[in-house]
Amino acid sequence: MDIIFSFLKKYRVASIAALVMMVIELAVELSQPLLISKIIDDGIREQKASVVWLWGGVLIGSAVLAFIAGVLSSFLASHASQSFAFDLRDRLYEKVQGFTYEVFNRFATSSLITRLTVDVSQLQDTVFMSLRFMTRVPLVVLGSVIMALVVHFKLGLLLAVTLPILIVFLYWVMKKASALFRKVQNRLDGVNSVIQENLTGIRLIRVFVRMGHEIGRFANFSGNLMKTTISALRLTETTMPFILLIVNAAIVAVLWFGRVDISTGSATLGETVAVINYSLRTIGALSALSWIVVTFSRARASSQRIGEVMAAGNPASDGTAGALGFLSHATPNPGNANDSAAAIKGSVVFDGVSFRYPGSEIAVLEDVSFAVQPGQRVAIMGATGSGKSSLVGLIPRLYEESGGMITVDGVNSAKLDLNKLRGAIGYVPQEVLLFSGTVRENIAWGNEHATQKEIEQAAAAAQIHETIANLPKGYDTLLGQRGVNLSGGQKQRLTIARALVRKPAILILDDSTSALDAVTEGLLLQALKEMSCTTFLITQKISSTVSADLILLLDEGRLIGRGSHAELMASSKLYRTILESQTGEAEQHVESLT
Amino acid sequence: MLKALLEAFRHPKPDIELGAGSGFGTPSGRKPKGKAKDWSGTLKRLWSYLAVRKAKLGLVLFMVILSSGLSLLGPYMIGMAVDDYLEGAGGRSWGIFLGALSLVYILYSLTSWLQNIWMIEVAQETIYRMRTELFAYLHRLPISFFNRRQQGEIMSRLTNDIENVSSTLNSSAIQIFSSVLTLVGTVAVMLWLSPLLTLLTFIVVPLMLFGMRWITRRTGPLFKERQRNMGELNGYIEETLSGQRIIKAFSQETRVIQGFRERNNRIMLSGYWAQSISGFIPKLMNGLNNLSFAIVAGVGGLLAIHGSISVGVILVFVEYTRQFTRPLNDLANQWNTLLSAVAGAERVFEVLDEETEASDEGAAIALEHVAGAVQFSEVAFSYDGEGDTLQNISFEAKPGEMIALVGPTGAGKTTLIGLLSRFYDPSEGRIMIDGRDITSIKRESLRGHMAFVLQDSFLFKGSIRDNIRYGKLDATDEEVEQAAKLANAHSFIMRMPGGYDRMLSADGSGISQGQKQLLAIARAILADPAMLILDEATSSIDTVTEVKIQEGLQALMKGRTSFVIAHRLNTIRAADRILVLRGGRLIQQGSHEKLLQEEGLYQDLVQGQRKAAVN
Repeated sequence: MDIIFSFLKKYRVASIAALVMMVIELAVELSQPLLISKIIDDGIREQKASVVWLWGGVLIGSAVLAFIAGVLSSFLASHASQSFAFDLRDRLYEKVQGFTYEVFNRFATSSLITRLTVDVSQLQDTVFMSLRFMTRVPLVVLGSVIMALVVHFKLGLLLAVTLPILIVFLYWVMKKASALFRKVQNRLDGVNSVIQENLTGIRLIRVFVRMGHEIGRFANFSGNLMKTTISALRLTETTMPFILLIVNAAIVAVLWFGRVDISTGSATLGETVAVINYSLRTIGALSALSWIVVTFSRARASSQRIGEVMAAGNPASDGTAGALGFLSHATPNPGNANDSAAAIKGSVVFDGVSFRYPGSEIAVLEDVSFAVQPGQRVAIMGATGSGKSSLVGLIPRLYEESGGMITVDGVNSAKLDLNKLRGAIGYVPQEVLLFSGTVRENIAWGNEHATQKEIEQAAAAAQIHETIANLPKGYDTLLGQRGVNLSGGQKQRLTIARALVRKPAILILDDSTSALDAVTEGLLLQALKEMSCTTFLITQKISSTVSADLILLLDEGRLIGRGSHAELMASSKLYRTILESQTGEAEQHVESLT
Repeated sequence: MLKALLEAFRHPKPDIELGAGSGFGTPSGRKPKGKAKDWSGTLKRLWSYLAVRKAKLGLVLFMVILSSGLSLLGPYMIGMAVDDYLEGAGGRSWGIFLGALSLVYILYSLTSWLQNIWMIEVAQETIYRMRTELFAYLHRLPISFFNRRQQGEIMSRLTNDIENVSSTLNSSAIQIFSSVLTLVGTVAVMLWLSPLLTLLTFIVVPLMLFGMRWITRRTGPLFKERQRNMGELNGYIEETLSGQRIIKAFSQETRVIQGFRERNNRIMLSGYWAQSISGFIPKLMNGLNNLSFAIVAGVGGLLAIHGSISVGVILVFVEYTRQFTRPLNDLANQWNTLLSAVAGAERVFEVLDEETEASDEGAAIALEHVAGAVQFSEVAFSYDGEGDTLQNISFEAKPGEMIALVGPTGAGKTTLIGLLSRFYDPSEGRIMIDGRDITSIKRESLRGHMAFVLQDSFLFKGSIRDNIRYGKLDATDEEVEQAAKLANAHSFIMRMPGGYDRMLSADGSGISQGQKQLLAIARAILADPAMLILDEATSSIDTVTEVKIQEGLQALMKGRTSFVIAHRLNTIRAADRILVLRGGRLIQQGSHEKLLQEEGLYQDLVQGQRKAAVN
């Protein structure tokens, strides 16, 4: 629950003001039985109408005061709680964005989403309710008990003895319930992840006709959620009846002893009635209790879950520090590194680099060394799973190498400012990832200051300009979340344009031309040549490697061949095998025809 | 400090039309897009979900009646105690009286406990049903529904919105029941005790109703707005977290954080206003409550002086005034949660009102056996009703033939496959399988005879074994491994720690794209269908491995009609027929040999690839 207080601190003035308003209201309410007893004892008993008028007037005046205070407290509490939630969400999201890729992968996306939405809302609700009326409950109870003691100590004591019982019982329930609610939230994560998976894989599920299977799986998850929720709520719902029982027992006792005291003259009728009245008020206040127990238990669970995110991935390496750096001092334009004083030129050296995924034993890359001059083209080939994508993922430091060193422009890339490094890199991943928005926005995503002309140039180089121009709305065409209304190859080329618009010093194409036909691909490679950036090209096609300055041949994480096309033809058997697999028969066929 | 205080009142109000926020007002104003549902309609629908457990609800209602009655009896007995025993001299049955009071209290606790426990079960089962129904319904919606929407936004309806309904049903439903009952009961008893004082208490009622109407008319739309903003934020989070790799690599964190902040701010504003204004309700009730309290006490006091009523009656009345306004107050408070739940439920129902994939026609049949003859005759299709994605496509495939689709990206190859599997229906022309129009075949049956390897190979969170088994849920371990061997995936699986039992995360990290494709192929092999569809199934697989699995694939395709989309032309040379598409038109078709001799796109493509390879 520390999180709540540390984030609420900023709004302490509004929070305190809201509480003050609430106390004013409460004071009015608590004074009422006292005023009534005055009306009864001083007014009615003594037959004085003026006293009745006086105290009646005070009652009305205080009611108006309480109303004004109430309305003000509503605004103040909303302000404090909503701003609190805004800050919390904002900070949490910033935190998540600042995670290294490794830390990020520790959480399921669906779980992060629930934490950012449901859990934060839970805390917001709790803060709001606390400022509005939850804090009121203990105050009403305490106030009533004190007033009862003031009115008549002996009778008031009967009410007072229930307090310790209440407190111990509540503490026990909350503790148990919050553990249960934590389980509920985790189950909700599970439900959420099935939903997310189903939405992402909807086509596959359809074509394999596995709807029934998936619905069954979902029913299973949400059935578990239901069961846990029921058991948690069952516990909290027991609170109220139990507490009513105890306080009502006190009322019966007050009646019993009250009668005795009245007959011995040690208590007046008015006093006894006032104590009973305060007891009834205690019950009234407690009627919201089970709900408060639920809210608090949930809040405790939620704040733990949020705390986990906040505590995760505190800077362990330079890379992380860099990633977090942008939070404190915003870099003017991370999108266009060419502006910065010492622009990266693009020479890249791998020196004995090895890599394993965090938490994994298996070496994905072992002892990889090579050097690339600015503007050179490197083609990377190798069997499926040989470590090609991992190798290029190390360049923008999506992951940290586990051994060896990568230098960019002669500087250990771990020492480079992460923003500067990444700003100089254009990265096209294997999977097509586009964002909701227009075609223009998606391309400009690579460089938000890009002019229309630059965007079109990038699109032209990526061989997609014509296609876009032919769309009814051109560059303003809206793309679905995953760009569904374009074909796979078109989407792929958009992601290439997005990388090119950065005018990167280093361009990484992770098998990004797989969906392109040979002619288009040839044109693309031609256009890339003119951009004179260091290019890493993962490819399956010999046709793309021929023109490369350097070809790296990977096999199970090791660099088994390195050189130009001609060199590898001479030295590498695997390279020749690959060549054969692609040209062998096709070539014969074509030649037999000509 | 003053500045900090004033800040609380300086949030700009979101621009929202007043709407049918209140049950008291006439439904008007802003209607949700799509099929407009009014407020009471939504409630009715919500009720239809609850009504499934009528028997249990009846029990709950019975308990609510009992507990409400008991809660009225309590204060009445206290009043009696004051008048008869404390003030008066009567003392004969004091012990019995207190015993009876204790019994009332015990029964009250018991009945309210039971009503809550049972209601929770009903509510949670209802939520469960709503959730699963919504989920199942999603699977009946056409693919185009998902193309149009953000994934996270849909998710939000299944989580945030349903949760909202859930928390309301848990507590508010009972509260509303019992509030209404208590209200009626209290008024009756009050009238019986003193009509005059009752009337005085009622002075505030019109004020209450007017105030509530004013408030709920404003808060209803605000709550709806908040839920919408929440959905939007959810969508944004989902998208930016799924695209994390890109955001990192492009170091665009600052930018997405900015985007997040804007959406976050919208939630804050709508939430602030919804909560502030709805927060008036209890305050208004409290204020009016205090007012009527004062009136009753004052006037009652004066009456008592003249001896026309007893002190006990005043006391009872004061308590009843509280009793009377408390349910009203609760009702008002619940009204508020109810509004927010209705906003959530409306969003859930919005999805349920979406049109499903045109349901299978009445006469649609399930096919027992498919030979695999496919015929497209003059098929045309357009995604948006504007530009044609496909035009005038006609071709035939005999059972067991291999059909290859070739053409530049965007030519319509994947769309054609989408039509065959009925993701979309053609706008013109007919598609026949075994001489039967596919619209007359049940979708599930149709797809059940096909196996697909889609362009983006999707893996579920779970073990490798389970992912392959997705092709045939009851496959044995041997069958799974056999399929993996054919797909050439066995060796890499065995090299991984855990082998077939290795767990894959949802984003498939730790496994390469090519390996994903191998698993997807194994999955299709396991499915053992009459028709096979491979959409760029080997695009990310290196060519050496491809040659190896080619053999397996050839064996698989034997005797099955198969459609293959590929860019690497040498993989489709063996096709019985190659369809060359460009710009949505079928411009050439025939065998590899035939097309090579024709002047046209195919020749250009082959030449291009050959040239590229040889250079």
